[in-house]
Amino acid sequence: MRALNNQIIGLVRNETEKMIRKKRFYVVLLVLLVLVPVFSYAQMKQAESKREKYGTDWRREVQQAITDNQNSLGSDRVPEEWKKYRQVYIQQMKYYLEHDVNPAAPGGVTFTREFLDNAATLFIPLLIMGLGSDIVSAERTTGTIKMLLTRPVRRWKILLSKLITLLMFVSLTVLAVFVICYLISGMFFGYKGFQLPVFTGFRLDGASVDLSSVHAVPQWTYLFMQAGLIWYVGVVVAILALMVSVLVRSTAASIIIMMSSLIAGNILTNMASAWTSAKYLFMVNLGLTDYLAGTPVPIEGMSLGFSLLVLGIWAACSLVVSFLVFTKQDILN
Amino acid sequence: MGKGNRVWKITGAASAAATLMLICGFVYAVSDVIFPAPPNTSSAGIENAASKDQQIHPGNMDVTAVGDSLAKGTGDDTGSGFARATSELLQEQGINSKLVNNLGINGLTTSGLLPMLDEDGVQYALRQAGVIILSIGANDLFAGADQMTELPDEEQLSVKLKQAEERFAKIVEAIRGINSEAQLVYVMLYNPFSDLEEVREQGNRIVQEWNRFAATVMDSTGQGLAISTSDLFTFNSGRYLAEDHFHPNREGYQAIAERIVQALAVTTVSGEERK
Repeated sequence: MRALNNQIIGLVRNETEKMIRKKRFYVVLLVLLVLVPVFSYAQMKQAESKREKYGTDWRREVQQAITDNQNSLGSDRVPEEWKKYRQVYIQQMKYYLEHDVNPAAPGGVTFTREFLDNAATLFIPLLIMGLGSDIVSAERTTGTIKMLLTRPVRRWKILLSKLITLLMFVSLTVLAVFVICYLISGMFFGYKGFQLPVFTGFRLDGASVDLSSVHAVPQWTYLFMQAGLIWYVGVVVAILALMVSVLVRSTAASIIIMMSSLIAGNILTNMASAWTSAKYLFMVNLGLTDYLAGTPVPIEGMSLGFSLLVLGIWAACSLVVSFLVFTKQDILN
Repeated sequence: MGKGNRVWKITGAASAAATLMLICGFVYAVSDVIFPAPPNTSSAGIENAASKDQQIHPGNMDVTAVGDSLAKGTGDDTGSGFARATSELLQEQGINSKLVNNLGINGLTTSGLLPMLDEDGVQYALRQAGVIILSIGANDLFAGADQMTELPDEEQLSVKLKQAEERFAKIVEAIRGINSEAQLVYVMLYNPFSDLEEVREQGNRIVQEWNRFAATVMDSTGQGLAISTSDLFTFNSGRYLAEDHFHPNREGYQAIAERIVQALAVTTVSGEERK
């Protein structure tokens, strides 16, 4: 048993060193270091133009947002789906006003929270896909797979070590997104805001909001929960990427497959509410943080438990497929 | 003990710690969504509560508009409506004024406005204002009027009118209760059908009856103003009405705003009446 553990750890270490040598993780960090300042700057410009209109008076701003959304509800040109989102938004904003809590007090922590809500379904999965898509196929492309598989190590251990390495980097990526986002946006908006209250627990039933279980949590707790949910999404995406990488021989092809299915998910969540069986697709269920924020689900009948289950089943199936195929397949060139 | 070893140790330890933390976050999040903590909202607003009841300085001429599509400014291509136009006209006269909020909602009736006045955000916007412009009632009397195919029943109409009048009195009372300092301006109705032969007469009668009542209500509240608009549109409906033949256009709103500004009691910063 001990020997086995040591063997796996050795393999994981080997894979980790490969991952670092490939500089893929540095690319992730670099992307963040470039993009987060861009987003922060854009957000700051937007905040400035708002400040010109409303000063520091967020209550007026929130009330105007409520009124504007109420006006769009009366318009026949607005699709019913959007109206539902707006009705929910109106009720949540009224709740914030009633309790005199600013829903978006400016600050690095608030920026991080909002950025991650938006990044959870596409941006972070894409980063993770970038790490994982070539983890097996790259060995094939370069031919090193033969060297790897002719060593006296069982094949499943090799794949397991790759999986563990990938999951390690999923955690590091999620953490890095949070830390970099906070550190950089803090330069623009200040580093305060960990204790500000955020409401969570809005339960949606169609367009009406059940407020009975709404409760305030400090923003840092909210970030903590967000990170956990995004991590789960990241793990599932990583496992799927691993499977694609096992199944598809070319790195380019596996990246294209993962990327297009992630983007398809984003498009589907915006338009597939009529096609209810789409809710069994993994890419429609990536918005786990929406359940925290109380945003309407893309398709009727989805809940946190449902999404976790769907994602879990997809991940479990891909693991089975990955290991079966990887241990059985012939290596041809 | 090379560099590789150190990198591996750091990466391994960091990722293990990160994973552990993220798993905790995940478990916490799932349990919080599925079994939410009991509401504890009472303590949430404490840090902001102090700033909510800030003092309104005397001579405040900031404008809040509340009511229906006229308050909103529907039909005005620039989107200003008379609310922003009023504030801008005041600024042109060198008076410090801004638009606090435009709370106009298309199609709002008296029965829709009454519960709105209980909302915190609405009350806040009203409290910030030195000038409150109210426009309401048209949708009660001319509901669906833009697609009206036949004349409304005389009797039904008078019942409707009575009920709307009662609610109107309550609305004015409620606004006064929220902000007793501000000058309350009611923009009276005009007959949007003055260019339609068949309904002009009936429309005129309803509008007159309503306006008479509204003016009485505004009179009975201190600092209430009822601004007449019907004369503007009697002969000038082509000039002042938008394409929908129902709402004013840019010029129409500007004309109403000018009347409002003419009627407002304007005080200088020192609090003296302007001569």
